[in-house]
Amino acid sequence: MSTPVETPSTATGAGKARTLLATEQVSKTFGGLVAVNDVSFEIPERSIVSIIGPNGAGKTTFFNMLTGLYKPSIGRIVFDGKDISRTRPDRITTLGIARTFQNIRLFATMSAVENVMVGQHARMKAGLIGSILRPPKVRGEERSVRDKAHEMLSYVGLATRVHDELAVNLSYGDQRRVEIARALASDPRLLLLDEPTAGMNPQESDRLTAFMRQLREERQVTILLIEHDMKVVMGVSERITVLDHGEKIAEGDPVEVRANPLVVEAYLGKQG
Amino acid sequence: MSTNTATADPASHRLSDTLREAASKYGLIAVLLALPVYLAISDLISKGNLTDLGNNLVLGLSNGAIIALVALGYTLVYGIIELINFAHGEVFMIGSFVAFGLWGTFGISEGMAVPGMIVGLLAAMIAAMIVCGGLNVMIERVAYKPLRNAPKLAPLITAIGMSFILQNVGILWRGSSQASVPDLINQSNDLVTIGGVVINNGDVLAAAVTIPLVFLLTSFINRSRLGKAMRATAQDPDAARLMGINVNTTISMTFLLGGMLAGAAGLINLLYQTSIWYFQGFQAGLIAFTAAVMGGIGNLKGAVLGGLIIGCIGQLAEFRIGAEWTAVVVFAYLVLIMVFRPQGLIGEETREAG
Amino acid sequence: MSNLRGLLKGKNNLVVSLVALGVAAILPLFFDPLSNLTNNFILAAAFVVMALGLNIVVGFAGLLDLGYVAFYAFGAYTIGWFASDHFSSVNGGEGFHIAAGEFASNLPGIHLNFLVIVVVAVIITGIAGMLIGLPTLRLRGDYIAIVTLAFGEIIYRFAVNGDEITFGEGYKLTNGRQAISPIDSIDLPGFAPFDSAFSLRPFYWFCLVLVGIVLLVNFRLRDSRLGRAWIAIREDEVAAASMGVPLVKTKLLAYATGAAFGGISGAFLGSYLTSVNANNFQFGFSIFILAMIILGGLGSIWGVAIGAILLSFINTYFIPEVFNEVPRKIGLEFDLTILNFGIFGFLILLVMVLRPQGILPERRRALELEGVGAGDAIEVRAP
Repeated sequence: MSTPVETPSTATGAGKARTLLATEQVSKTFGGLVAVNDVSFEIPERSIVSIIGPNGAGKTTFFNMLTGLYKPSIGRIVFDGKDISRTRPDRITTLGIARTFQNIRLFATMSAVENVMVGQHARMKAGLIGSILRPPKVRGEERSVRDKAHEMLSYVGLATRVHDELAVNLSYGDQRRVEIARALASDPRLLLLDEPTAGMNPQESDRLTAFMRQLREERQVTILLIEHDMKVVMGVSERITVLDHGEKIAEGDPVEVRANPLVVEAYLGKQG
Repeated sequence: MSTNTATADPASHRLSDTLREAASKYGLIAVLLALPVYLAISDLISKGNLTDLGNNLVLGLSNGAIIALVALGYTLVYGIIELINFAHGEVFMIGSFVAFGLWGTFGISEGMAVPGMIVGLLAAMIAAMIVCGGLNVMIERVAYKPLRNAPKLAPLITAIGMSFILQNVGILWRGSSQASVPDLINQSNDLVTIGGVVINNGDVLAAAVTIPLVFLLTSFINRSRLGKAMRATAQDPDAARLMGINVNTTISMTFLLGGMLAGAAGLINLLYQTSIWYFQGFQAGLIAFTAAVMGGIGNLKGAVLGGLIIGCIGQLAEFRIGAEWTAVVVFAYLVLIMVFRPQGLIGEETREAG
Repeated sequence: MSNLRGLLKGKNNLVVSLVALGVAAILPLFFDPLSNLTNNFILAAAFVVMALGLNIVVGFAGLLDLGYVAFYAFGAYTIGWFASDHFSSVNGGEGFHIAAGEFASNLPGIHLNFLVIVVVAVIITGIAGMLIGLPTLRLRGDYIAIVTLAFGEIIYRFAVNGDEITFGEGYKLTNGRQAISPIDSIDLPGFAPFDSAFSLRPFYWFCLVLVGIVLLVNFRLRDSRLGRAWIAIREDEVAAASMGVPLVKTKLLAYATGAAFGGISGAFLGSYLTSVNANNFQFGFSIFILAMIILGGLGSIWGVAIGAILLSFINTYFIPEVFNEVPRKIGLEFDLTILNFGIFGFLILLVMVLRPQGILPERRRALELEGVGAGDAIEVRAP
């Protein structure tokens, strides 16, 4: 795979948004099982993009490759001009990709604030000796990280009185909020949300949809979404990629995807 | 899977996966073979024959048979509840103690008539199997069952506690020094010599007890209702419960079987090593655990294979490097295997082991 | 608001620590300077250092290390090699000395000042900790336990059989069960040389300083970037890595820090006992230290300190001096001392089943032991 990254302008055609992340013919196999097969796609900077597909289509596996939890069996992943196909998860976070998980994975016995402070790990400097000796620089960093954590939690709408509550004691909706705050705390340029509206009622989903737009406007974050709720997907995404059996079967804006017979078949076939 | 991929060929990366898998598996085999092959070559150069190696291997296989019986206990329990039953080596030790304690009761002594001795030893073995099986079930009830919902490391810690308690039972029972026991079967008597390689009474005994027991165990697990319940529980305890399997009973039965094998191994070890010691279980336990991991923990065939291999490695190390370094060699293999191929030689039959 | 609370908590802790250390410092003045009780205090303090070291690995980072005795051994051999006549013909029999004190300065062999030894021991055990930790990085909890145990056993066998391994001018690696002895006593600049024939108190006070250091390190690390990363890894490695926590580095730092305190304490014990005997480095010792942590409360700093003192006194006082005759009084023909490890095993079992959070529980660990979070997260295949 020696082809250079396509220039952003040719990729999007529009010429105004450059490509933030691109996958080039990425596949992942487990043993003999092909989970993701030859998927190429691109995320323009400051866009909101979705991946949809029936259960077992390989969406989460794809996510796990983007965040470095899996290495692609073949193909390349390029983030902001850098090949991150073999980069460790924590390095990828440092480079500017953050994520949430399908089934919330907060650190259950840490408070909301501490969770968000962990999210800032990559942006902190204190090492072993610094942590032990605690010079003013480390104290200052600790204080500002804590302040920022509170700020992030307020930003995602967590009531101040539960900031110091243990994650395990928070309501489901609040846990989702903390997870997003934790991801945002690393100052990502690309935020990956894995089924963020799962278990939410329509009002909450609407609020989250609005929040995603707000994020992009206020914090210049690009968002990639895995979502089952078609109302959310169609409402918020500029582009949608459809996976089925690990392969990309369709791509386009919401209208195009909705009209694509392959997509309809994939979903109906699944039900039938 | 469809084949409409234009540039990327799924077959090619499947091949690379296969290659990697093969490299890790055969790499392990190569590391295992390195020691005997090296010794074979050096023997051929210095002595011109392989008699020493052959003798080592015969002894190693007999040792390995005993190790395999203990290893089966680890693998059975790990297969079903993913717990390293650290006290298992001590159950084996108690097996030796029980069997030896019963020699007097059953009137077993040196120089008694062969048929009488066989009957007596068989009775002692069955008694040891029953005691050890029961002990293992009790250990599970007391030390592991209350912690079934706790983090996985909690029962491992209680297992270590149990192991220490049982060692102290051994100390109270027979004191803290190693003792020799009468050589009932004249174990080092040369029975057959083939091309300079000696097979003695002890080797025959080890094979004669281990092979039928392993055969019985595997057919029991493959055929019987309980065996099926065990395999189902190992796959998915919750699903097994929904299918009407009594998971608690099944787990208890697994410990019973494992303990019985350890009891049998305890008696053979007594006859084969002609010594008894409260500490014998600790090292034997670790070696047997190494064997279980080597074969692929959770896998019955693997445990037997691993036992035989580790028996040979241990014997070679003892003969060539010195008995005091045997443990170092075996533990070095343990570390290598756990790090580079935690799924072992055969891989898992039950749940993910790596 | 929470900043204020954090500060207050920190201040309180400081006060509690200073009072506790102060009381501990006065304690030996009530006993004879050579009393056996002072000896017991010293051992307890040395074990507090080790237990709090292991607490960083097991309690904070959640890595069950069953081979901690290896670091005791490395620390002890550091002083065995570098503060005795073990390498007797070094420098043509003249010896090699760095601030070795009046007495040791004229002896053959290598003789470094104890403070230098501490630095060397920290370096050696820190590296050993990382080397032993390295192979365990991709393993799950129970496999980590077994691999560290195996390493501990390997080190023990090398200690025992080290007299077979010779190098240089016939130097042995260790003296095995014959022990390397005598070891230089502690001789600090500005203080009279420590002399156990005259008073044990200086040893005690010195070890108390070590306890102060290990307490400080525990408290500081617990409430730091690194401490949070350890909890995160313990609870969910995948999520931690995805939040930017480098797994390898973070785990290795835990191993190295924990190991370093094992080494410091090992060097101290080597000097205090004036011998380094391979018999001390058996598996049981790892469990002895682990039992202190479990008894006190995994991850709970004060709990672990209390657990260490308690178990140390059970070992050095209650079993041999108070209850030793009990079996004979009820007509049994044995001393209780032969059962000390059984008693520790029984304690571990009892605590784990009845009160897994320990005497003084740490809030998070208590929750985890009830099954909240931790441990059973979905495994992602190692990359």
